[in-house]
Formats: sequence, structure tokens, C-alpha cells
Amino acid sequence: MSYLHPVRLHFSGKFQANVSTVNNDPGHFNNATFQPAFQELGNGSDNGWFNPQGDASFRLLGCQVMSAFSDNAPVPAGDLVLGCGVADADGRVSAKLADLDPEQQLVSQIWGLQVRLVDGSGATLLRGSYTPAAFCDIWGRAAGGSDMAACATYQSVLTDLEWGDLSGSSFLRQLRDLSAAAGTLSIKFNVDAFCMDFTAADFMCGRIVGSIGPGLPGEPDHLLVGRHFMAQPGGQLNYCTAVVDAAAGCLFLDLGNALPTCGPANALTNLGDLQLGVLDPIVTPDAPAGVVIPLGSIAAATYAGDPAWYARTAGIVVFALDARQLAAVAAAPLALSGAAGVFVGEAASGAWLRADAFVYRLSPGQQVDMAVHAMRWGQPLPGAVVSFVADPGGLQPVNYIDQDETPPVGVPLAAIPFTAEARTGPDGVAWLSMVTGDPGTPRYFGAAQDFGIDGQVYGIRASFADPQLQGPVNETDFISILLWSSFTPPQPLTWNTLQPIFQQYANLYPVMNRFLDMGDYRQVVANAHLLKLAFGLDSGNPNAMPVTRDLSPAKRAAILSWLDNPLEGTPILRQQRAPSGALPQPSSEMANRGGKATAMSRRLSVQHRTHTTLKEQP
Amino acid sequence: MIRLNRRVLERLDPQTPDVDGICTTLQYAIELEHATIPVYLYALYSLDAVRNPEIVKIIESVVFEEMLHMTLAANVLNALGGTPAIGHPGFIPDYPGPLPGGVESELTVSLRPFSMAQLGMFLDIEQPESPIVYKAGRDALEAGKPVTIGQFYTAISVALGQLGDGAFVRPARHQVGPDLMTNAVVVTDVASAQRALAIIIDQGEGTSTSPLEVTGGGYAHYYRFMQIQKQHFLLFDPHVGPGEKAYSYSGEPIAFDPAGVYPVPPDPSAAGYPAGSQQRALCDRFNYTYTALLLALDAFLCGDNTGRQMDVAIGLMMSLKSQAKAMMSGIPDPGRYTGPSFEYQASDPATAR
Repeated sequence: MSYLHPVRLHFSGKFQANVSTVNNDPGHFNNATFQPAFQELGNGSDNGWFNPQGDASFRLLGCQVMSAFSDNAPVPAGDLVLGCGVADADGRVSAKLADLDPEQQLVSQIWGLQVRLVDGSGATLLRGSYTPAAFCDIWGRAAGGSDMAACATYQSVLTDLEWGDLSGSSFLRQLRDLSAAAGTLSIKFNVDAFCMDFTAADFMCGRIVGSIGPGLPGEPDHLLVGRHFMAQPGGQLNYCTAVVDAAAGCLFLDLGNALPTCGPANALTNLGDLQLGVLDPIVTPDAPAGVVIPLGSIAAATYAGDPAWYARTAGIVVFALDARQLAAVAAAPLALSGAAGVFVGEAASGAWLRADAFVYRLSPGQQVDMAVHAMRWGQPLPGAVVSFVADPGGLQPVNYIDQDETPPVGVPLAAIPFTAEARTGPDGVAWLSMVTGDPGTPRYFGAAQDFGIDGQVYGIRASFADPQLQGPVNETDFISILLWSSFTPPQPLTWNTLQPIFQQYANLYPVMNRFLDMGDYRQVVANAHLLKLAFGLDSGNPNAMPVTRDLSPAKRAAILSWLDNPLEGTPILRQQRAPSGALPQPSSEMANRGGKATAMSRRLSVQHRTHTTLKEQP
Repeated sequence: MIRLNRRVLERLDPQTPDVDGICTTLQYAIELEHATIPVYLYALYSLDAVRNPEIVKIIESVVFEEMLHMTLAANVLNALGGTPAIGHPGFIPDYPGPLPGGVESELTVSLRPFSMAQLGMFLDIEQPESPIVYKAGRDALEAGKPVTIGQFYTAISVALGQLGDGAFVRPARHQVGPDLMTNAVVVTDVASAQRALAIIIDQGEGTSTSPLEVTGGGYAHYYRFMQIQKQHFLLFDPHVGPGEKAYSYSGEPIAFDPAGVYPVPPDPSAAGYPAGSQQRALCDRFNYTYTALLLALDAFLCGDNTGRQMDVAIGLMMSLKSQAKAMMSGIPDPGRYTGPSFEYQASDPATAR
């Protein structure tokens, strides 16, 4: 049940995602063609895009508990939780947000976030560690097609819970007791209305609206074992999830990332009244497709007419179901519908699957087992065969600096020898297992003579083997893997070998100039003590370097060993060269749209579609 | 020269020193050592490090030692069974204002971008008593006279000597040793406590016979800063005189490039930036991080004296450096320069909770 639970709170406020943008262009990873202008604030690939000085910080800003429910009833006004803020760490640095890869920017992960509930006097009532999570279900929530219009969702759990003095909140005591068995809380939030105006107070900030409920034993961390509503191409509603709670006699529907807005950070768009129904599949002569049994409606006056509704509810609607309705929804598809184009619904089979963790950073030779949860009608689905297929369609290969050198994605496939099929166990979980190989360096520039992007990025799509269970496909839903290249440096290890790594880091992250020039041997040696600290930390630590988490363990180990004995070696003069091809596009328009919107538009599947469309035109 | 209000020593009766009195005085010492750090950092990060590299290095080196001094005072306090109190709003002085306990009205310390005038204030803070004037014990407590920082620490040192080793908690508790911080002293008895306090005195003021530090190997802070005013590094120079006089500001030049100072405002406050402005947001974010550092140091000096917690604090220091250097140099909005105000702020933004 996770955060969709009769005991839950909703919060709202702002977030900051102060990512750097120089690394938005894979072409900027080419040390040999890198120009100082690529670090400058600007609008396109010939400079550093819209926030080259970003430091990757992810922060919760001014978030407040907006409402809380105990057994689905609003908690009494005097409960301390209602005055609480939802804040991040107060004794360590901010969390970090990092893309998986320049060619997979659509699963950015939050690392090292601590979440606190803070009462009006400043006392911390709850402190928990956020398990790193990636966003999913990104879509254009408002008109405009830019990052400002985009919305996505993060679901994860809080662990290592520390509770404070809860004497003033029966709600929090109940939440504590409910979460005791699993030791976790379930947290989900939606992020939208990202501000890209560097003159604004909210630059690199946006709106965050979310929910916290108890974690229960056996629940996955990042998805709901529930009822999954599939968006329709061109439809006005996005993917969303419901949970039926038979014991509580209700259905929770999370529309937090499903309803469009009138503009960035604006109120929800009035789509008219929305009807939740379940299909009664019994066919009669009068109803050859069955009939829809209404379960309830959401009045436009509620979600669109009340500007505070979204922040207060996080978009979660609770429908009370009677025994007859509960019986009807047990094994029949749910749908939310309204006017034309307003529809999301479950697959006809009621089946759905997804990997719990769907973002992986792997080294060659690593054994990995990825849990894929299959469910039907909201219950774990045992004995189902799950197929796995390599699918790079959602990855974003491009090079705005030199289109002739666009780093390829998804090859060599032999480096990810995964099983083609797996069967779900009694818990509905199928395991995608493999021992990774070495991808080599397929993304090095200059005919593989220059340094480039480490390793390779892959996409693997899971689906039901049984056609009867298959349904609509969510294109953004696949497993993303960054598989690093093997790295066995020559000994003795010298600066010559490591310089390209440091230089690339210096190029891509101008924020480092506030500390040192990472491309300068003497400065690196002079700061060895700090670098050892930062490179030696676990990637879950918010102080870990690189903040982008894109340095392989092998390279990290080599750097740490070299910092103990930083030999220079014979200096090598590295040649700069001009890009070999012409710039494909004036790209200021792309960068104006922002990193995510641009990445969406350059997915391989979209590039192919565009190609095909162009070819088909007379 | 800072002259301290005698009030700060009133708990140190050399005839009958008591542990509580010394602990109160040591807490005050921690606050005093900390109070100079925002002043130095504000000037430090107002400098374009490319255009003023020597000055940056000099100020940075002093800040490192002020942090060591805080830690040394905390070690002595912990060794006596006391508890440093760092993570609370009253720990940070108001800027502009006197240093904690200061009595000289003309020495108001302020957050200003670097200038030769601001350097003059640094010299005032660090100016030592004339050589060989470190008077101890009752002399320092002569009625009616304000006390120098050197005299202040010497008085504590003398009081500890009279208290004896029996006053120290065994086993030693909450000590930050040299494994965690270079030149830190684990305090277990009178001798080690006096060694810790001597480091504070000699790094700040020099020894009675030389501008050189006993510990650390550099010059005492006053002489380090004086190099900037004299625009040359200080050198050992036996031609100019014997003993402590055998030094002159005749080394490599130290250029000050006034164009390499960002035009940040003097003595900023978060409330002084317009509500809803980017400057207010940046200042709030800095203050929240600064407050987190105080809380992290509080934990570090109150029992979590681990390498892990030290790393947490260093991470916060690096974050503060990064934020300050950005906001003071016009990032993200070129031409808009924001000074951090170093205020205690438990939430971000300050107004929300």
C-alpha cells in the first residue's frame, strides 16, 4: 500500500535541482575539441547551456505538511504534524541530483537525501535516509514543451528512521507504529514547474508535491503493487496508479503526476468532471463490450476549481467502495475518463510489470540480479514469463559539436549477456540476471584514439511473454544500465594516464574551478588530501565525487592509489583539434527548452520517427 | 590589538580556580576564535583568486588555524568534563559589532570585501602584545586593565596549573587528535592543556622572541597579514638586526589588485536583501549550510569525534566555499553580487518552517 495508505501525509513546497548543464551535450565529453566557451552561460551547445555553474545540489525548500490522514480521516487540527515542515539535512551537505549518462538523461537520480519532519519550534520529529531513486513517467504537463512544462515523479523509501518527541502528534505515533515492522516509510513526490531563468529567485527550482506513508514488509521500494493506468498517445492524462484497500473499503487513486496544468506551477487544467469506473466484462446483447460500473467522480470544481487542492492532496483521491464495488474491481479493468481525449485505464488483462530499481551502474564482471515485479489486478502475479529485450529506443545519442562523432549507444550487446526470459516466483518477482562483460570503449572520440564517454549505456525492456497479458507500452519505462569500461592502467601509474579523466571533469564541471583546476597536475597534487576524501566516499554519500556518479570503481580506485603517490610521468602534449563536421543545428532553441525536454526530443525512437516522417513526406 | 573585557576572566580566580569557571571561560574562547572566521572568509571569498593569489593563500592559511584554535579550546573544555556549545543561534556574533568580550570600542569587526582598510582591521584583531609582555596569573588580572588575548589564554593556562591533573576527566573524552586535524593536541592533563593553549597564543601572536610560530612553521597571524600591507613577504634577514629583529618585509612582492575584488555589500543581512529576490534566496541557502556546519561541528566536538564526522564537516566547509565564491562573483546572474551574512538559520528559506 505504501504511501497510498489510510495513514499518510501530504506536503508541498519547492525543490532545487542545481544541476550543471555543460555535460548535457555528449560532444562536450571530447577533451580534444573542448572549448572554453563550452563553460559559459548561454543557450546552446556552443556554450554551456543554461546553468554551467551548477553544483548538482538537490534541496527541499520551504516544504510544509499540507494535510494528514489517520484511517482516511483528516487528523485533528491540534495534531503537531500539521505545523511541520518537510526539510532536508541540517547537519551535512545537500543531496545531489545526477543523470545516469549524457545519453540517458531521463532517469536522473537523487543521492544522499535526508528527509526530516520539523515542528514549529524547530525540533526534528523524524529523520530518515532517502534510498537513491530515479524519476519516472516524465511528461509535458503544461503547454510549451520545455523543462518548465515537464513533470515527473519520484518514489522511494526512507530508512534508518529516527523519531523525535511525538507526544504532540497521535498521527506520527500511528505512522511510527505502522512502519515499525519494515522500518521504512514510503515517500513519493512529483516535481514540476522548473525555473530556468537565471535572473529569478527560483532559478533551478521548481514545485514539489508529495506524500509519505508507512512502508510495509515485502513492498518494493520504488513502485506500487497496485493498479496501473496507462496513458494514451496524445491523451491529456499521464500514467497513474491506484491501490484498492479492501479492509478500509476504499480505492486510492494518485493523480499527482497525471493531471495537466494551465501553465508551469499553475492550477490544474479544467478537464471537466472525471469519472472512475470499472468495466463489467459480462457481455450482453445490449452491451457487447460490457458495461462500465461507476465508482465515483472527481468534480472539476474540486481539482481545478480549488487552487489549493493539488498541494493539499498531492493529487490523491480516495473513493469509498461498497462491497459490490469491491467485488467488481477485484478482477476487472479500472479506467478514469471524461471528455474526449481524457482517458487513462488499466490494460485489459489487468497485468503490469516494472523493475523496482530501474537504473544501474555496473562494472565489467559484475553479477547483478534485477527484480522485476509483475502484478495483475493489483496482486503479485506468480508464474508469469517475463521477456527481456535490448531496446536503446529511449536513449539519447547525439553530438551537437560534431555530428560525425555521435557516440553510439547500446553496443556491444555482448557485454550485457542477460537471460531472455525469467519466470515470476510466488511473490510476483522475476529476476533479470547477468554477469556483465567489458563493453570496451565504444564511445571514445577521434576513432577511439581520444578520450571519450566511459563505458556504454544500454536499455532493456521487460514485457510479458504471454500475449494475453500484454498491454499498452510506456516508452519511458525500461531498465537503464551504464556499464563501465574495464580499466587496467599501466604501472607505475602516472598523471599522464589519469590526466584525461581529470581534464574531462574540469571541462564538464566549472564548479570545480572554485576549488582547483582539475586539469592541472600541480593543483591536483596540492589538493590531494581533499580529493582523497571526496573520491574515497561511497556514492550514496552526498559529498562523494564525482557528483555525477559517472566514474567507474576501477578509475576511482586508480585515482585513489595515484593520489597516495602522485607521479607525474613525462608530460604529454595533447593536441586540440577542430570538430570534423559541421554543427548539425543551431541548438539555442533546444537548450532554451532545457535538458529534459531536449533529451526527450532526441531519444532514438523519436529520432527514427522523425526520420521516417521526413522520408515519407513527398 | 584586541583588549578583552575583564568580565571574561572574572571566573578565573587564580587563588581558588574552579572547573566550572574555567569551562565557562573556555566556552568563551571557542566563541572568540570562531568569531573572526566569518570576517576573514568574507574578505577571502570576495577576492578573485586568479588576480590576488598570494592574498588568498595568506588569509586562507589564517582561517585554517583559527579552526584549529577552536578545536584546541574545545579539547581542553572536553578534557575538564565540559561541553562545547556551538550549534545554537547565540554562538554567532552580530556583524558589525565587537568581538565577543571586546572592550575597545574602536574595534568593531565587520563583514567587508577585502581592502587595505579591512586588512587594517585584521591587523588590529591579530596584533600581539609587545614582545615579552606575556604576563601571567595575577598580573594579568590586575584590577582595571583590559586583557589581551595572549593574557587571556595565559590566565587560563595558569589557572589550569593550579587546578592540577586531578581536574581532568579520565579516560580522556571527546578529543580531536592529530590523526583528525594537523597539530591538534589530545588533552589529558595540565601539561597537554597548556601545550594546546600555547599553540593558540603562538600561532596568533608569535612567540615572545620571534614572529615565527612554534607550531605549524609559518609566521604568526599578525605578521602574515602585515606582509600584505607591506606588499612583500617577510624574510629572515640577519642584516637588519639580531634575534627577533632579524626579519624584514623584503621578500617577493605581494600585489593587491583592487579590480580583483567583487563589489559585494558591506555587512549584509538576509533581511537586507529584498524578500523574494535571488539574493535573499542565495543568502538563505548559504546561512542554512552555515548553520548545518555549526551543528556538524557541535556533534564533532561533543562526542562524535570520528573521521566520518570530520568528513561531514569538511564537506560543509567546501559547500560554503563553493556557494560563497559563486554568489560573491555574480553566479548565476552575472553582475549581481551577493554577500553571505553568516546568520544562524535553521530552515531554508528562513521564513518557512
